[in-house]
Amino acid sequence: MTDTNSGIVKYVPGLILCIILGWLSLQWDQSIHKWQKDFQESEKILKANIKDDKPFLSFAEYMAKSDEKYKEKLAAFERGEIKEKPKKPHTIKEMDYEAVAITKEIPFKFRFGERMIQFQLTYVAVLLLGGMIIRNTIGLPKVFQPGAVLARPIIKPGIILLGGYYLWSNLLKVGVFALLLVLVFILGTTVLVAVLGRRMKQDDGLMGVMAAGTGICGVSAAVAVAPVVNAKPRDFFYAVGTILLFGTVALFTFPYIGKALGMSEPVFGAWVGTAILNTAQLVAAATWYGHDSLLTANIINIVRGGFIPIVVIFCIWFYVIKQATTEGRQEKINTWQVIKDKFPLFILGFFAMVTLNELGVFTEDHRTIFGKQFLQVFFAVGFAGVGLNIAFDDLKKAGGKAFVIGFIAATLKAVLSAIVVMLIGTDAFKVK
Amino acid sequence: MAETKEFEEKSKKVFSAERKEDIWVLILAAITVILGLTGVITPKTFSSLFF
Repeated sequence: MTDTNSGIVKYVPGLILCIILGWLSLQWDQSIHKWQKDFQESEKILKANIKDDKPFLSFAEYMAKSDEKYKEKLAAFERGEIKEKPKKPHTIKEMDYEAVAITKEIPFKFRFGERMIQFQLTYVAVLLLGGMIIRNTIGLPKVFQPGAVLARPIIKPGIILLGGYYLWSNLLKVGVFALLLVLVFILGTTVLVAVLGRRMKQDDGLMGVMAAGTGICGVSAAVAVAPVVNAKPRDFFYAVGTILLFGTVALFTFPYIGKALGMSEPVFGAWVGTAILNTAQLVAAATWYGHDSLLTANIINIVRGGFIPIVVIFCIWFYVIKQATTEGRQEKINTWQVIKDKFPLFILGFFAMVTLNELGVFTEDHRTIFGKQFLQVFFAVGFAGVGLNIAFDDLKKAGGKAFVIGFIAATLKAVLSAIVVMLIGTDAFKVK
Repeated sequence: MAETKEFEEKSKKVFSAERKEDIWVLILAAITVILGLTGVITPKTFSSLFF
């Protein structure tokens, strides 16, 4: 007899659910973006009409005029008068044009699309909020749970594909600042939590996992460090609870804080790349804010991911070697083994994509397919998994003094890094 | 003690699962790139997925 709960079969229902939710949210996203463009076009049509105080053009005349303008711009581009190749102008459908001309008002669905974009209710928000609401109200039936967990890492192929958008020069330019941010804030938080934990006489296992988790890469780093510091299950869940709680609060508030502080997309990307602990949550927040924000956040995330082995080495030194030396014993560390075991492999895929782009393998179409379109497909399925896995019961597991230390350190890092990235400014973090 | 040992094993297992997961992720990305480069996926493919 085959156990239907084992093997690949158990992942299928949850994965299908995430694919369906991902598709629905992308359909929503396409619609509101189209309506927003229609809103802007309708506004232009109405303004031109009020300004000239002339009767509305017929639909055919409107289309011809728009085409004529495009051809003029294209000719100017060919003469070298404008740098960027003009895009085909957006025009509204005949039926909508007639409605605007008759009512002299912008149709409701266009205003709705504009408002949704204003509130940043794109596919990212819909999936995260929707998933979270489903999980914590009607609940996620057990049959869907394994697949929903498996869907989360589907964000990673998106991160790899985004590599096709960069050149090594972009990577190095932003990478220098990313390295500085990682060194100061991420390693700084790890050391701060470890030292504070000792001062406050907290358990080594708990603080080791918390130091790695709040400092660097959330759950991945906590998992990597757990065996090194002999963390107990309770320690691990306390730390993961804290990381997830902070990440969830940050995910839903940072995009609005960023807007309120007037952060540009690259600056916001640098901020979330430094301040949000979990890869999936930081990618979600950056995507929510905009594509340029994602380009910057991704570089910081890649640099940060590369630092996981270093954090593990620090934890081995702090909790094992230093401890052993104080007790008069000798312990050694196999640095190469740690790097080999803990280095996240998917980063290599990202670097391969950057190299292929540098070699001129990708055309503009390829970059659009990989870095914008299929990136959204992978992200949508992954974000559905992230949303469906935000369970308030898991977040409640955060607690105790260690939670206070972890939360304070993560908040401090968020506030200080926001100040620093804003002072450094957009130019340093702008990928292109 | 036994509980800690068991957990240690479990976390090692989780990490090796993450390693396997990364390999699948690389394969998935490679397939997409190959489909894109060979022209199976075009810029119109994505918009054709929606109404």
